[in-house]
Amino acid sequence: MPKEIYLVKVGMSMTEGMVSEWFIPDGGTVKKGELVYSLETEKVNLDVDAEYDGVVKHLVEVGITLKPGDVVGYIFESGEDVPDNLDQADSQTIPSEQKEPEPVVQSEASVPELVREGASNIEESGRVKSSPAARRLAQELGVDYRAARGTGPGGRIVEIDVRALADAGGRESGRTEISVQQPNLKASPLARKIAEERGIDLASIKGTGPGGRIVQSDVEQAPLDRNSVSSPTGLTAELTPGPHPGDTVPVKGMRKTIATRMHQSLMESAQLSMDMEVIMNDAVKMRNGLVEEWASEGVKPTYTDFVIKACAKALKSHPMMNSRFSFEEILLLEEVHVGMAVALPEGLVVPVVRNADRLSIKELAKETSRLAKAAREGSLSLDDYAGGTFTVSALGMYGVDSFTPIINHPQSGIMGINRLYDGMEWEDERIVKSKKMNLSLTWDHRALDGAPAAEYLVEVKKLLEAPYRLLI
Amino acid sequence: MKEQSFDLLVIGGGPGGYTAAIRASQLGLKVGLVEREQLGGVCLNWGCIPTKSLLHAADVMREIESASSLGIDVGKPKIDLEKIVGRSRDVAGQLSGGISHLMKKNKIEVIRGEATLKDKNTVFVGEDQISAASIVLATGASPKNLPHVVVDGDRVWDARSAMTPAFLPGKLLIIGAGAIGVEFASFYKSMGSEVTLIEMMDQILPAEDSEVAEKAKESFSSQGIRVLTGTGIESLEIKKNGLLASIAGAEEKFDAAILSVGVEGNTKGMGLEGLGVELEGGFVLVDEHQQTSVEGVYAIGDVSGVPCLAHKASHEGIICAEAIAGELPLPINKNRIPGCTYSYPQIASVGLTEREASGRGSIKVGRFPLLANGKAVAVNDTEGMIKTIFDEKTGELLGAHMIGPGVTEMIQGFVVAMSLETTEADLMATVFPHPTLSEAMHESVLSAFGRTINF
Repeated sequence: MPKEIYLVKVGMSMTEGMVSEWFIPDGGTVKKGELVYSLETEKVNLDVDAEYDGVVKHLVEVGITLKPGDVVGYIFESGEDVPDNLDQADSQTIPSEQKEPEPVVQSEASVPELVREGASNIEESGRVKSSPAARRLAQELGVDYRAARGTGPGGRIVEIDVRALADAGGRESGRTEISVQQPNLKASPLARKIAEERGIDLASIKGTGPGGRIVQSDVEQAPLDRNSVSSPTGLTAELTPGPHPGDTVPVKGMRKTIATRMHQSLMESAQLSMDMEVIMNDAVKMRNGLVEEWASEGVKPTYTDFVIKACAKALKSHPMMNSRFSFEEILLLEEVHVGMAVALPEGLVVPVVRNADRLSIKELAKETSRLAKAAREGSLSLDDYAGGTFTVSALGMYGVDSFTPIINHPQSGIMGINRLYDGMEWEDERIVKSKKMNLSLTWDHRALDGAPAAEYLVEVKKLLEAPYRLLI
Repeated sequence: MKEQSFDLLVIGGGPGGYTAAIRASQLGLKVGLVEREQLGGVCLNWGCIPTKSLLHAADVMREIESASSLGIDVGKPKIDLEKIVGRSRDVAGQLSGGISHLMKKNKIEVIRGEATLKDKNTVFVGEDQISAASIVLATGASPKNLPHVVVDGDRVWDARSAMTPAFLPGKLLIIGAGAIGVEFASFYKSMGSEVTLIEMMDQILPAEDSEVAEKAKESFSSQGIRVLTGTGIESLEIKKNGLLASIAGAEEKFDAAILSVGVEGNTKGMGLEGLGVELEGGFVLVDEHQQTSVEGVYAIGDVSGVPCLAHKASHEGIICAEAIAGELPLPINKNRIPGCTYSYPQIASVGLTEREASGRGSIKVGRFPLLANGKAVAVNDTEGMIKTIFDEKTGELLGAHMIGPGVTEMIQGFVVAMSLETTEADLMATVFPHPTLSEAMHESVLSAFGRTINF
């Protein structure tokens, strides 16, 4: 039976979206887990993978606005007759304006068999344990219930899991992530189960079983903590088995998104960077004091939190740095939402601290720690990603003293946070030890010139050097 | 004196040796094989195969005896022991001839005689000197003896004499209740002998799960086999008209005795000592690719350690041949080597016993009696059970233990499952055909997780 390809719903707020690109041409073959189309909504672009092997037939063309849950195409399994007349005629039967498309009637007119049988297949498909109610809710919400993290008996997916999945924008579970990245991974059921239990990414493991299959002993010998990759020492990162020399790493999923965004940013704007030294003595003192004071509450402000706060505060008085450039006009944004780059084993994500200028250091510390945790757990919601107006990126934990961060397009600036180190200063004729840190600012020269950018950087520096001003 | 040279010389033409030779030849090596007796080794000539022929006769005998309960009256059967034994020899002869043909087909040169290693690349067979880049020791094992028991071949038998008896003993004593002893007990019992089976350990079939061993003991006892566990033999005297045994302080007469108290590796008399090949517990010590402590010298099968089973030997033969040819074969997982005993009832197992498994963490144990299996009831053979043991946390199948009809043919289902590292979920999701005895395997898995349907 042909299987529907749906316009997936990401986030509760999504009301419409479109296929912005078909990765698999009409009539082309796809393997389960391969990217099949790119979804574009007002908020995000998301690459959607195929849930089945087979031949892809497009039902809609690129650029037609649809509602989440609408069928955009079909996957015909091998051996099934692939009709030729699916594409053009049917794509016109789903007009973009129609808000109440009465999909059943419509589809029956065009491809009645497919819809009826396909619909029952969704409920039967896969080996994922789920309750009927959960599946029904998933259909209503237009999310793929198989991506949910089951919390019912025996890991069964129940209604609340589907709701949580929808809230998280459909990308909650480790299961989807893994299936997106390694569709054809060979591993024994036992190895999979142990890996799941221990939170080990099978892609990081080299199989030693028959035909390179990942077996029990491979998983048991694998290092446990994949999250420790981002640890300051970098030592654990070396222990994690990643791709090996000679491997071919496919560019897709997160990697592809990063590649596209970074390239686009450099192609479309005029970026340049400058560094400035900041004396951090008072900031260090203040942070240490706050760490102690809030220890009982489990709140631990980081230097990154201080920098985010300083950047956000300074942006209010330097709106050109908090702007969106186009060749017609420069839009000065009213709100300050600061993205923070978080490194994960599979790539970079940039969750956003909303209204960072209005948050106290304490609120900010809580929020950044929540976002970092969610990023590592893969449970960031789409809203957590959306709407950044400026970004900070920290490489100080690796001992970096200066770098040229790339702007998170279409923003106008990004602040690089470098290492905190023991430097020297003149005090009259004496040399004294002093805590120092460099800030590396990249900005879009199209939006503002060197002088105002430097003024912004000086303001951030002054805020960090007299950090009580951050509290005001 | 003639001189020959090979890439690989295999010493011993049993299931390990001839398999290694064929695999090496397939991989392009020039291979020679030395055999002092018949190709096929003990397994084919004096073990697995001829005993299966004998035990088949015993099974037929039992079927005939139960025929009247099915409504078939055949009268009292007459046993021609000579013919039964003769057929078992014919079977062995036929299969050994088959190995000969396989050697020719694979261009393996068979050299008759006893091999002595001069150094790690030189072997003497009689006068002839053979040089080889690699040597595989596949010399097998021999029955162990007891210091106070003399095996004379007339009345006190080793396995070999026990399968070519000159007479049917009225009263038979079997010393040692491992697989070999138990199989002979079943055979001679159905031939009409009065059988006493004694075992030093506190359970028969000491390698098996104790619950299964206990069931086997009950079954043997109910058939009229006298089973004594935790009992040794103090003396065994050969008298003019029989044997006088002293068991647990009491003297008893027997017409014949079979000594089956295990085997030891054939490591002596071929120059291994001079070569520095390390031994451990009477077996040659090997690494994961079957290489001994001397580079280029390999050992497989019984001589390289327990379990002394033909299928382990042939698998190791393939591993060592591939390693010698420069491949990187996967080492054998000794935990996944099945064991089969062809007594009545049959016993088959793979993996850990319940006792072994419980020492390693939380487990789930499933049991399903054949009494609740439709096919078993239909074919009038309901004695037995299937036991499965799982790791509670991961669902790993740790062990399977089966007793009953057909279990030696069914155990491979669990062996494949273990080899593929399936969990309980995969086994539960497997459709077993109805009506078969194998449904009891499925039910046993279900039972381990409290989900059995038919019991």
